[in-house]
Amino acid sequence: MRNSFDEKILDEAYDWIKTNQKVVLATVIQTWGSSPRQVGSRMIVNEKGDFSGSVSGGCVETAVVRESIDLIKENKLCKKIEFKVSNESAWEVGLACGGEIAVYLEQVN
Amino acid sequence: MKITTLEQIIKNKSSKTEFAIVTNLQNGESQVFEPGKKLTGEFENFNKQVENFFNSKKNGIIENSEIFVETYVRPIKVIIIGAVHIAQYLVDFAKSLNFEILIIDPRGYFATSQRFPDLKIINKWPDEAFKEIETNKTTALIALTHDPKIDDPALQYALNKKFYYVGALGSKKTHENRCQRLKEAGFTDEQINSIYGPIGIKLGGKSAPEIALSIIAQLVSETYNK
Repeated sequence: MRNSFDEKILDEAYDWIKTNQKVVLATVIQTWGSSPRQVGSRMIVNEKGDFSGSVSGGCVETAVVRESIDLIKENKLCKKIEFKVSNESAWEVGLACGGEIAVYLEQVN
Repeated sequence: MKITTLEQIIKNKSSKTEFAIVTNLQNGESQVFEPGKKLTGEFENFNKQVENFFNSKKNGIIENSEIFVETYVRPIKVIIIGAVHIAQYLVDFAKSLNFEILIIDPRGYFATSQRFPDLKIINKWPDEAFKEIETNKTTALIALTHDPKIDDPALQYALNKKFYYVGALGSKKTHENRCQRLKEAGFTDEQINSIYGPIGIKLGGKSAPEIALSIIAQLVSETYNK
């Protein structure tokens, strides 16, 4: 359902920050075709690679974690990543559902 | 996102003030939009578009721009009549969905905070209780006592106020009698037929959590249909 006051992911992000963790917010900002999570879906990642929430059905979370850690290491503010259909025969990151999504990464600073 | 922006978001969430997060995807700057308050600085020129997103409760990128809008709207209010066993499971299910639950039950033994921790229970008769609750066409009612003394006044209130979902627990026979009483009270066939009774989708289960699941499934389905 729509974003609501019950959605706890940003509260969780704030809790992580209060315990001195570096946090990246990863948000689905655009979708094309059949994508598993709607625009506004979000996950959070810390510098160790711990994450919570989701931006897909498990298809691209690993790549988002990796990119988020890089963002923290390079001390960049934000970055946009697009994920497209994956080749089923290869172990590459992508969306098996045939959809495409754009995910926006931003550091909380 | 700046930590001060995140703090404002948390504050708005806890005070249940509706808002939108507006982000410039190019530089990572963001601001919190609230109806009636104007965006400033680099977002100044996007007030109108952000307001449109907010009013249609949508998330997305403003056309021909790099501005992303994410709206936060209040959860749907669901009023349960009867602090019964099924209600305890409904509360559990609703926690992970976009519903805010209120329970009305005039019976003191049922309406205890020990049975329903962290939940607003109004220990009054429905007519009195509704004076304390703000309702509109996006409110839902679930009547669970199957006691006409308690359920009927609540059902009448919900029908008069045109709640988008009105459901009542009870067998087919119980529901027939209920419809007859509402007819005698002057309600039209159309109004009476809009009640989901017996409540819930057919799952086949008979236990309290199974019935709660069938009710919540129907409620979610009707929420998307409205």
